[in-house]
Amino acid sequence: MPLTVAIIGNPNTGKSTLFNALTGLQARVGNFPGVTVEKKIGRIKGTAEPIDLVDLPGTYSLSPRSLDEMVSVNVLLGRQTDIGKVDAVVCILDASNLERNFYLACQVLDLGLPTVIVLNMFDVATSRGAKIDIPALSKKLGVQVVATSAHRKEGLEALKAAIAAAVPNGPGPRPHPFPEVFYAECHQLASKLAELGRSDAPSFLVERALLDVGGYLETEWLAGSDIAERWKAALVESRARLKEAGCRVPAVEAKARYAWAKQTLSDVATAPAVRAATFSDRVDRVLTHRFAGLLIFAVLMVVVFQAIFSWAKPLMDLCGAGQSAVSNVVASLIPPGTLRSLLTDGVVAGVGGVLVFLPQIGMLFFFIALLEDCGYLARAAFLMDKVMSKFGLNGKSFVPLMTSHACAIPGIMATRVIEDRNARLATILVAPLMSCSARLPVYTLFISLFVSDEPLLGLRGARQGLTLFAMYALGIVAAALVAAVLRKTIFHGETPPFVMELPAYKWPSPWIVVSRVWDRMMAFVTRAGTLIFAAAIVVWAGSFFPGDHSQEFEKQRFVEQTQATQADPLKHRAMLEESLGKLNERMAAHPPTTESERAEWQQKLSITEGGLADLNVELKPLDDARVEVNLLRASLVEQSFLGRLGHLIEPIVKPLGWDWKIGVGTLLSFPARELVVTNLGIIYGLGQDVDESNQQLWSAIREAKWPDGRPVYGVPVALSIMVFFSLCAQCAATLMTIRRETNSWRWPLVTFSYMTLLAYFAALVTYQVASRL
Amino acid sequence: MENIVPMELMAAGEVGHVVQVDGSPEVVHRLAEMGLREQVRVMMVQPGRPCIVAVGDHRLSLRMDDEAEIFVALTVIP
Repeated sequence: MPLTVAIIGNPNTGKSTLFNALTGLQARVGNFPGVTVEKKIGRIKGTAEPIDLVDLPGTYSLSPRSLDEMVSVNVLLGRQTDIGKVDAVVCILDASNLERNFYLACQVLDLGLPTVIVLNMFDVATSRGAKIDIPALSKKLGVQVVATSAHRKEGLEALKAAIAAAVPNGPGPRPHPFPEVFYAECHQLASKLAELGRSDAPSFLVERALLDVGGYLETEWLAGSDIAERWKAALVESRARLKEAGCRVPAVEAKARYAWAKQTLSDVATAPAVRAATFSDRVDRVLTHRFAGLLIFAVLMVVVFQAIFSWAKPLMDLCGAGQSAVSNVVASLIPPGTLRSLLTDGVVAGVGGVLVFLPQIGMLFFFIALLEDCGYLARAAFLMDKVMSKFGLNGKSFVPLMTSHACAIPGIMATRVIEDRNARLATILVAPLMSCSARLPVYTLFISLFVSDEPLLGLRGARQGLTLFAMYALGIVAAALVAAVLRKTIFHGETPPFVMELPAYKWPSPWIVVSRVWDRMMAFVTRAGTLIFAAAIVVWAGSFFPGDHSQEFEKQRFVEQTQATQADPLKHRAMLEESLGKLNERMAAHPPTTESERAEWQQKLSITEGGLADLNVELKPLDDARVEVNLLRASLVEQSFLGRLGHLIEPIVKPLGWDWKIGVGTLLSFPARELVVTNLGIIYGLGQDVDESNQQLWSAIREAKWPDGRPVYGVPVALSIMVFFSLCAQCAATLMTIRRETNSWRWPLVTFSYMTLLAYFAALVTYQVASRL
Repeated sequence: MENIVPMELMAAGEVGHVVQVDGSPEVVHRLAEMGLREQVRVMMVQPGRPCIVAVGDHRLSLRMDDEAEIFVALTVIP
């Protein structure tokens, strides 16, 4: 059995660097069950006995205020079953700021575990004039103290030796910082708990329960059990008695622990002189400036977005190409049938639909990790707090929401930086309202079809551009309003004060950036991947069954056989079509001026056209069969479970100006919004290979009629479809990510319900108003 | 005579030490954990809402709610 050692420390003390330096990049990353806290475990390299290092989130204290924060306490107390007993704890401190860091160290020592105190960034501290007598400090604390400079890999061997020695050495003495009356009260509470039938609670938990007013152990720990009320009452009584004795909770904790820190550090450590204005302060004069700072921030965001779109695009295309290549290989190996349909339309399309997001996710997290590690991200949150706080969010919500404009999945994953649970949930719930890149095909299709490109104020395409902008603005406005409403209703309660440390600027560490990007990408592929995959299969089945596909498969077999035997005429026709197009282009660019030139052109044209006509006759059976396959598919989709559902919901979508085809197309695009374009292609019998610029699809949409002959589409319908897709939750991947990040089905359900309702009513209003104008 | 002001009235560059932190017990507790507590030396780096204050060697960005207030005794620089 390997030893299990937990590592804990304040944020910005170099904990990640130390963790990576000790374990190499071999950590197993996952989630602790039931919470959003990341679980990261790595084996320490080069020790005689195997030692597993458990990384705990950076924190200023061990007071659990939420279930998430309770995880660290449970791990340290050996109550987290998936980790088991923790044999020792490494507490990492910033050597330049010992006094404040000792607050957490004091709590850690109170756990009564074998402990190693690490004074990290020791080189920086000494260069700034700090003097620390390490043997004396170690003697005073009764545990080993090791100085390290993790970014230079200094002190690592000593630290490994100390960790290995910590377990045989046993725990050091507890600090005992509180007045005796406090411990007496804890003793009484513990016996009260035993009376209530909970004699298993360690004394650390009892102390924490007494100290943390409104904390997890007071409000949630025993919630639901019949002793919860009596427990709360006991805590209130205890605190009242302590107050009378001059020991006010929770103020006594800061007083007692900082007094302990001061007393422990006196005559063994001299803090470095406080610097008046540091390099970071000088940089911040520009970067957090009310105007210059915002301007730089805006420019930076534009650059990041541009980079993500232009750099991720080729990779995403590559994923798409890879997906169709795999589809083709499968199709060449398996004859048309249910199995092939399952593999190509279900499995490959499902997995491909997941992988296609990966380049964007990787790219985004690369920039976020870079900006976070150099210290800029905290400044961005500071700059945006002014705006975000008006809607009940805080500055840390900005980056996730910005990210969601590319894709809500990395956006939701990026909300991990928001500590306040309510603000985090509100951010997660509104993030999918941002217009992500998957909405673009829908917007493009309907804007190019129904919004005129006549100049507005002399600008060509201005109307189309404005419509597109309005769609993006709609998402942002809706998100702001929904966030404000959420904070007043389900996430009500005080907007807590916003406190955030602005770490000193530093060069980003490539290893930390690489490992963060890698962790995020793997987390996405393994967890969301499996769930999205399952969802894709379910939707495939819903649109495939029931229905007799034998005719379709037979026709498809005929098409493929004919394609193989007629490969040459097909190639020939493609060539002729291409040269005809080129001829027409050239003629348009350089119109013939003389009569002889015109005759020459005419001759070339008629030869090409004649050749095409002959080939079209030869290939007619094949072309007819292709059309038939598409028509068969369209009618099979109509008869499928989802198609029937579409007919069933026609009365519901009619007020939006939609016919059942748009309804089914929308319903079938539940796995991903952009699928609606493909779905309309299938439903209009054009096959699956249509995209938003497909001319056949354009004319099919223009010519679509109600049974009474009125055209289905018009500007009001186009607008109502766009508004619906701007606000709806048609993205299984996002919902699965919400489920993964919140560890509950409740929030994806809430998100889906409110967004669908919002989208429906907004589309309803849009259509009803627009059709009356 | 000490000149005691709420933190939000401090001008950029002004230095003092915290004499009182008001607010809900949780908020006061959390601020203390991050090092913002009575007797600690603070310097206003950038006033506003949120503001940036230097607490010892740390820089904290801070936006208080309606009930929370930090009082600072200004150090008179001769």
